[in-house]
Amino acid sequence: MGGPIRHIDWLGALAALVVLAVGPWFSGSSYVIGVLTVALCFGIWAASWDFMSGLTGRENFGHSLFIGAGAYTAGFLNVKFGLSPYWSLIAGPLVAVVFGIGMGYPTLRLRGPYFALAMLSAAAVMQSLTIIFSEYTGGQDGLNGLDPMLDSTLAYYYLTLFFLVLTAVILKLLANSSWGTLLRAIRGDEASCQAAGINVTFYKIASLMISAAFAGLGGVLYAHYQLQVGPDLFAVVLSINIIIMVYVGGMGSIYGPIGGAILLNVLTEAFRGFSEYRLWVYTLVLMFIIYFMPQGLIAPLWRKIRLVMR
Amino acid sequence: MAKDPAGDAVNAILAVEGLNKRFGGLHAVKNVSFAVGPGTITGVLGPNGAGKTTVFNLLTGFISADSGTIEFDGQKLDRLVPHQIVNCGLARTFQLARPFLGMSVLENVEVACLAPRVRHEGKPRLRAQTLLDQVGLGGKSEFLVDVLPYGDLRRLEIARALATRPKLLLLDEPFAGLGSNEIKPLADLIRSLHRAERLTILIIEHKLREFMQLVAEVIAMDFGEVVAVGSPSMIVRHPRVVEAYIGNVELDPSTLPGPDGRNGAA
Repeated sequence: MGGPIRHIDWLGALAALVVLAVGPWFSGSSYVIGVLTVALCFGIWAASWDFMSGLTGRENFGHSLFIGAGAYTAGFLNVKFGLSPYWSLIAGPLVAVVFGIGMGYPTLRLRGPYFALAMLSAAAVMQSLTIIFSEYTGGQDGLNGLDPMLDSTLAYYYLTLFFLVLTAVILKLLANSSWGTLLRAIRGDEASCQAAGINVTFYKIASLMISAAFAGLGGVLYAHYQLQVGPDLFAVVLSINIIIMVYVGGMGSIYGPIGGAILLNVLTEAFRGFSEYRLWVYTLVLMFIIYFMPQGLIAPLWRKIRLVMR
Repeated sequence: MAKDPAGDAVNAILAVEGLNKRFGGLHAVKNVSFAVGPGTITGVLGPNGAGKTTVFNLLTGFISADSGTIEFDGQKLDRLVPHQIVNCGLARTFQLARPFLGMSVLENVEVACLAPRVRHEGKPRLRAQTLLDQVGLGGKSEFLVDVLPYGDLRRLEIARALATRPKLLLLDEPFAGLGSNEIKPLADLIRSLHRAERLTILIIEHKLREFMQLVAEVIAMDFGEVVAVGSPSMIVRHPRVVEAYIGNVELDPSTLPGPDGRNGAA
């Protein structure tokens, strides 16, 4: 829903971009730049989750599988094989896509909760495997000492921002194309889609591959910001956090989840002042949003603005 | 496997031979064979549980047969999945309308215009609008499908099926759940589609009156078997059909088709 992209949408996107571009200048500290870089990574992850799951309604409870796949690819290539980090920008998404095919091909043909459950368990299994095969993966400590892609953290922030914009533009254009129409139809009724001559399984698997590619890209960017990868990148809690960000942003809109991811990351930092009560406050805010704004915060808000500015 | 009588097999657009389907202990479709000639409207009649919808699901690949062959337009459909069968030119509607909720009426039809079979026949959006005009929903194309009344959803189902440019259209109880004032316009629509496009239509129905006026030939089923095939006027007098189905229904003779195939009543 939301109709075709209008001038006001480009203006809104431009305004958001300006805010993100000047954001680091409000406080030049590398700490704030780091928080914002992580927020951008979450933006990529939330948008890529939304493209598959938000549009088709097939919830993915193990998005961290693709994130970890991308991040560990970056770790292996850079630390073990000494390859330039830039290779990982291609290899990370590719490895994640392979995971996407491996997960999607058997489970997305079936109806029912198999896909969601398989994703959840696959991510958990990978987390365990990184610990079991610790001689290769570094176990609990992970792989350390990745090379930075760029010398300055500010430059790296802009590189990450570039990839977030790239992700957002590609996924939003796809979602607004006939491809997106078909994905929303799959969400509506799979049998009707088949009766309309649409190869539902193909579109679901292809969308999961696209979703995985961008999640893997975010994983590579995150790894080369942290300069370390660890088993937590496969954690279920990471997947759940991304889903929460998508809900807060507004499912199925692509831009909403990016806003939700950035908002919640910044809020988490802002609540540091509450010290030990931080999680309480964070959870209360979340409950407030989900209770009073079940459609989310950012996408519905933008739809209202569009109506007013008509 | 037996062959059809020579004449039928050559002319038929759809030839079903020895179709069987069991669900556990229930033999839902028992050795069903029939043929549908091109450009005809054929009815499938039978009481609840006779296996009519199961036959439709077998024809459209939504369930697979235990044995038997389905030949459509010179092609075997047995091993194909639903979207492939639609792209061969065999489209269906569902007994309970199944719209894509959360999408506009136009988008609902646009989805079917994106099927590989018709994807390159002009802009999907424009085609969808033309189809909506054709079924009388042209003015509601921007409505959210969630707000459409049931009668309109039936028309939407038909528009969606037509969007794939079928050679054979299967309608599963198109009149079910409609008010009396909605039935006649829908029957007229089906009739006009048949005339305008020379579309072959296979239709399951319970509503005897409208149904018998619409179809030229009836396949009567009971307990998963084909019990009789013939013209509507013949079928309603057939002893097996009367026993199975008509026996406990008040039938108004004035609604029966006259000898020339036109209906007798005004």
